[in-house]
Amino acid sequence: MLLNSALIVLQETLEVALLASILAALSNRLEYRMTWMLFGLSGGLVPALLYAMNLELISGWFDYTGQEVVNASLQSSIAVILFLLPWTFFRQHHVHSDQGSNEIRRNRLFGIFAAMSLILAIGREGSEVFVYLDGFLQQGDKIKTVLVGGGIGFSIGISVGFLLYYSLVGLSRKWGIAAAVLLLALFAGNMLSQSSVQLIQADWLPSTAPLWDTSGVVSENSVSGQLLYALIGYEANPSLIQMIAYLAGVILVLLAAVFAKFRSTRSSLRK
Amino acid sequence: MRPCIRLIPGVLALLLPFSLLSATPVVEIEIRDHLFLPSEIVIPADTKIKLLIKNLDPTPEEFESYELNREKVISGKSNAVIFIGPLPPGEYPFFGEFHPKTAQGRILVQ
Repeated sequence: MLLNSALIVLQETLEVALLASILAALSNRLEYRMTWMLFGLSGGLVPALLYAMNLELISGWFDYTGQEVVNASLQSSIAVILFLLPWTFFRQHHVHSDQGSNEIRRNRLFGIFAAMSLILAIGREGSEVFVYLDGFLQQGDKIKTVLVGGGIGFSIGISVGFLLYYSLVGLSRKWGIAAAVLLLALFAGNMLSQSSVQLIQADWLPSTAPLWDTSGVVSENSVSGQLLYALIGYEANPSLIQMIAYLAGVILVLLAAVFAKFRSTRSSLRK
Repeated sequence: MRPCIRLIPGVLALLLPFSLLSATPVVEIEIRDHLFLPSEIVIPADTKIKLLIKNLDPTPEEFESYELNREKVISGKSNAVIFIGPLPPGEYPFFGEFHPKTAQGRILVQ
């Protein structure tokens, strides 16, 4: 019971912790203020609670596939936001004194996107934790064990987030930003891949045979499998649609970053 | 923009068969006292199946299967639908993530 609750809460915390730490490292390297983090983390609790409280109603939508549709929408929205994010910061390298107001605007836009992605991620993951805890609140005696386990899982998730944050911030500015953008691209791929799985589960997308099966090498059930799942969307037996969705997410965010960087370099050369 | 708008009915028409052709066989599973009943179901190979899971417990459960790539939270005293397949023959275990000690089951595809 203790171990299981730790694992469940860890699973849900990990994804949000990784997203938050990558965004925080990026924000740090770009020398932006971190106020968005406060809005993102606290703001996410609202949709998480609303989703958890109305889960039964939402599940009933679309002939009992409402949950999948809502999850897929949340995840796809995160991917879209991550695609838009590079456009907000890649001109930052060439700031001149007369661009001060422009800089503040970009800073604010980055913050809005970062906070929004966190709010959506917490909305989905947090709701599952709330539903899980609520189930044990009704069972009286077990809730203490579950809360302790959940606390352990939560702490491990947060620690992994800090570890990633300090690893990224420890890199040189250039490499730190590059690594963070790459991780965001992988995260976007993960979101689109998960979103396609939800739509397959709801029968909105056709189900196809798995492309391969690596569960013998890294099981999704294992700790490394869970970590890889949260970080790069590891799946032991992905289907073709899932793979296409994953690659589309990764490539689109990377292209957005390269293109935004290219444009910023060109516009600064023209000046 | 115009051509995009014109494409919408076409795209919707393409998606229609997936949602409307619901001659999909339904298989029912109940959750009672944190157990799946029946805990073993047999389904034909290469066939799409609609799993109708009825959670009779007052507590929520999460249906999870790594082999099937499926995961869904089911509130207490409520129903859920999960589509699986078409699958090749084999054994596909599933479990209730919230009560994994007792809530265990498997799907045999033949």
